[in-house]
Amino acid sequence: MKRFLLSFLLGWAIVAHSAMAQDGGPLRIEITEGVIEPMPFAVPDFVPDRPNAGDVAGQIARVIAADLSGTGLFREIPAQAHIGRVSDFSAPVRFADWKAINAQALITGAVSTSGNRVTVRFRVWDVFSGAELGNGLQFAGDRDGWRRMAHKVADAVYSRITGEGGYFDSRVVFVSESGPKNDRKKRLAIMDYDGANVQYLTDSSAIVLAPRFSPTGDRVLYTSFETGFPRIYVLDVGSVRRRILETREGTMSFAPRFAPDGQTVVFSIEQGGNTDIYSMDIASGGTTRLTSAPSIETGPSLSPDGRQMVFESDRSGTQQLYVMPSGGGSATRISFGQGRYGTPVWSPRGDLIAFTKQNKGRFHIGVMRTDGSEERLLTASFLDEGPTWAPNGRVIMFTRETKGAQGQATLYSVDITGRNLRPVRTPGGASDPSWSPLQN
Amino acid sequence: MQTGTKISALAHGLLLGWAFLGGVFETDPLPFEVQDVSVISAEDFALMTGRSRTPEIDAAPSEPEPPLSNATPEVTAEPDSPPVRSRPEAAPEPVPEPLPETLPEPAPPAPVAQPDPQPAPVPPETETAAVVPAPPAPPQRPSERIAPEPVAPPPPEARPDPVEREEVAPEQQADSTREAQEASAPEEAATEIVTEAEERAVLAPTRSPRPAPRPARPAAPAPRAPDPARTEDAVAAALSEALAGAQARPATAAPSGPPLSAGEKEALRVAVSSCWNVGSLSSAALATTVVVAVSLTQDGKPQMETIRMVSSSGGSEASAKQAFEAARRAIIRCGARGFALPAEKFDRWRDIEMTFNPERMRIK
Repeated sequence: MKRFLLSFLLGWAIVAHSAMAQDGGPLRIEITEGVIEPMPFAVPDFVPDRPNAGDVAGQIARVIAADLSGTGLFREIPAQAHIGRVSDFSAPVRFADWKAINAQALITGAVSTSGNRVTVRFRVWDVFSGAELGNGLQFAGDRDGWRRMAHKVADAVYSRITGEGGYFDSRVVFVSESGPKNDRKKRLAIMDYDGANVQYLTDSSAIVLAPRFSPTGDRVLYTSFETGFPRIYVLDVGSVRRRILETREGTMSFAPRFAPDGQTVVFSIEQGGNTDIYSMDIASGGTTRLTSAPSIETGPSLSPDGRQMVFESDRSGTQQLYVMPSGGGSATRISFGQGRYGTPVWSPRGDLIAFTKQNKGRFHIGVMRTDGSEERLLTASFLDEGPTWAPNGRVIMFTRETKGAQGQATLYSVDITGRNLRPVRTPGGASDPSWSPLQN
Repeated sequence: MQTGTKISALAHGLLLGWAFLGGVFETDPLPFEVQDVSVISAEDFALMTGRSRTPEIDAAPSEPEPPLSNATPEVTAEPDSPPVRSRPEAAPEPVPEPLPETLPEPAPPAPVAQPDPQPAPVPPETETAAVVPAPPAPPQRPSERIAPEPVAPPPPEARPDPVEREEVAPEQQADSTREAQEASAPEEAATEIVTEAEERAVLAPTRSPRPAPRPARPAAPAPRAPDPARTEDAVAAALSEALAGAQARPATAAPSGPPLSAGEKEALRVAVSSCWNVGSLSSAALATTVVVAVSLTQDGKPQMETIRMVSSSGGSEASAKQAFEAARRAIIRCGARGFALPAEKFDRWRDIEMTFNPERMRIK
């Protein structure tokens, strides 16, 4: 009887509890499926403070729109579709006009000029909630630097909407190529990330390879055949002065890359038919051997914290990727898919490694976790190689070369999801890109 | 009470007791057929379909290395051992069973009066029904929009709109009362991101592994005698928890009327999902789940000032802010014309808490 009463009371209590829980609280639903599509945004021309600033105000707005649209995460609503007009930077925004064209983000700005100085002010608005994203911000600089100011505005907008850093105010060093494949002229060049402002750092008298930016973006390492042997040079980007990194006579040194501290260089030396990885202190010139296997070890790249190094090796019989402590030691193989893996580069976020993969006669650019898991191929073509990471670790730039004697190398960029594959505009052929950090 | 009545009641009682206890009302159970089923694992299915898989990586290092001196780091000079954690090898090509040789036609046996030989005992054939997952979907075409359901490219003249409508042209002479409207169709969408490397992927199975052997039948659990003390404790604990929960809730503002049906909730969920764009979120925000509260007006439109983040999990404050902003945009955009909710149940959906969990969107 006692048990019967207990069961009855328990049942009544549960029914009462569930009924009250259902009645008293809000309706609860869980959303687990959304959509992935570019966010529509509008950038009306920035408001100039005087008529002669109108040109630069319009150009800045166009560069901002191109930067954001180029990410593949945003889609610009063209000016022809705008209903609203922004004629006063300080006037309240008429959100209904922008909602009507389905703009989810709105960027308004103003440009004022004083002599050679240009000041850009801007605000970012969440149209549907009618709220400003962050606070207004302004950048000032010389008139010649208007593109950099536009890139900085775009970086700030990108960061406020996505929550991660931008990459627009950055530069790329690459090998500029001209002429047919059997007589190709190569020289180092540097440009904005979007292909603007190209400048040449070397002439084409000697073959140059594999330029790599320093973590601060002020120096570039590269390999040159100027002496007949491949040797590594350090070039100061500001002064265009260079010096050779002294290594042993009669050896070939190549595949250099800066360590995150900017004071150490890791690279490969070929000696007596064997290639191993070394590190060198730039100031003292002291070298340390990091691998000593009879196989070919090359392409070192350090993790952002400087503790680990990924490199390629054929010690297993085929070219694969390995990770080991940055000071040398036990190496762990991380690539196990079909084909050959090379040119590994550690992401600036530290979470992924980009690589080139060759399989069944095609080349791919791919990414994998640092333990080799979750491999994902992003591209496929006759020849893709040499990935480099954008400063925010979201985009990869690489070289794509077409078939045939007249085939030309071109730079491409792709999002790490595999979306938004697009060529990078360069004058003539281009290969071996290296992305700089964000400029100060 | 009369003696006859007592005897009658006793007799009826005995009769009913005999009927219940004697199993008069019990019937034999309906025939029930049991068949063993083996489930193909994801690994087996991947092998069967020949799709490339990423290797499983253990946390432990693959092979021990000798300790290294501090002066010059030494690395093993031998080629490394075969990878321990390599991806599972493809199933070996099945060796065909030797076919029975064709024998010459036997001569008709002479009629010999011999007893028929006893047939060799044939082992009972193991019947294994394999539950095969649905065949993989054909390769998708790359699309700028990734949505839960794939959408074919809309007609070129159609205006992008979640609702598909055919064009109605105004006709001067027609008696039709239909209003003129512009053709609209949903935007093209795929369910997954298709990279350039995946566009030509062949998903047809290239080999079929042997069916797995029948799994061992699990031993039946031994019946446990109920522990009266433990049962009473559990009952008392559940009772107190239920009562405490019921008392903790305020007794006021209890909406009346029937609750929303599952279909009505699903329609609301789908409506919000179609506007929840996570394409521009950072990877940190894509790892953050936010619970957003909103109050609706009677026509189903969200009241902007009531939208707030109740809680978040899985990310930093900054990533929660980004995730909340995306959720808020979804609620406002798709609720701009009012969510399709039954007006008679307004009390039930006046206040809503939506949990935006992007876990499944990370693997698109």
